[in-house]
Amino acid sequence: MPFQHFLAQLLNLVFAGPADWLLNAIGRPPLNPAAPIDGTFTMELIAFFILLLFFVIVRISLNVERPGAAQQLAEMAEEFVTGQTEPIIGEKYGLYLGFLTALILFVLVNNLLGLLPDVDTPTASPVVPLGLALITFVYYHLQGLRWNKASYIKQFLGPLWWIAPLMLPIEIISHLARILSLTIRLFANMFASDLLILIFFSLFPLILPLPFIGLHLAVSLIQAYVFMLLASIYIGQAVAHEH
Amino acid sequence: MRTMQNVFMTLSVLCMAIPAMAQSTAAADTHASMVAIAAGISMAIASGLCGLGQGRAVASSTEALARNPGARPGIFLFLVLGLAFIESLALFTFAIILFKVK
Repeated sequence: MPFQHFLAQLLNLVFAGPADWLLNAIGRPPLNPAAPIDGTFTMELIAFFILLLFFVIVRISLNVERPGAAQQLAEMAEEFVTGQTEPIIGEKYGLYLGFLTALILFVLVNNLLGLLPDVDTPTASPVVPLGLALITFVYYHLQGLRWNKASYIKQFLGPLWWIAPLMLPIEIISHLARILSLTIRLFANMFASDLLILIFFSLFPLILPLPFIGLHLAVSLIQAYVFMLLASIYIGQAVAHEH
Repeated sequence: MRTMQNVFMTLSVLCMAIPAMAQSTAAADTHASMVAIAAGISMAIASGLCGLGQGRAVASSTEALARNPGARPGIFLFLVLGLAFIESLALFTFAIILFKVK
């Protein structure tokens, strides 16, 4: 039995009842009431707890004079995200540092979990990137409304008033397409990379799949970076003031 | 050279002819294989053109980097973004094949 299904079964032993109740409450009864929690969700939960543990360790061992290894790692991540997002978002970048750092680390850990033997990449199932894309979508619209108030609608209406009836549907479709493109990009990249390893593993299971595992590592890093970059571009566009 | 060209043209026509003839005998059976061929060809077109586009992007960014090494962060940002966008077009094809082909 794959490792993640074993963990999912353990979770189902404890949390099957509440999960069933929740799914029934939102009107989507589970296909299998005995096992509503699947392997993908379990791995996502593991990624969440890994990050939680990491941040708790960083917070406990915070030290100005002698920074420990965890703190160095956290500072590296923070510096990287700052360096990438400051030119894009501008002076308000500090407000979004938390969200963007959490986003890149969560995507990264989820992608990298696929490198473990016997584990499917959580992001290779479309629901995980879809959830992240929906969160990003809602978040940048809320931030746009927060900073531009009612004039946020002007971003959807185009430069001239008489062109607005044409621009509004186009803008709405292009904003909704962002969810689709964020989801498909991450999902298809990770799925293709998983599939590639599997295909070459079935061709010859020794040495041959190794380069593709390396490729999976590179794709994981790049896709996490791209996801964070696109989220920061969307936030930057939403919070920008039109003068 | 000329004769080789003729031979390959004939061979390629024959390649098309064999599935076309088989279609009349077992229509239901060829449907599945046609879908597989179509999926392969569409993925080949998508990834080939994606490769051309990414090649152009990488070539011009490398050239720009050689002319002006100081502009590295800006060029890197747009390079990665552009590559992600170009690559996502090929991945859309992949996703369509994945979800629509049974």
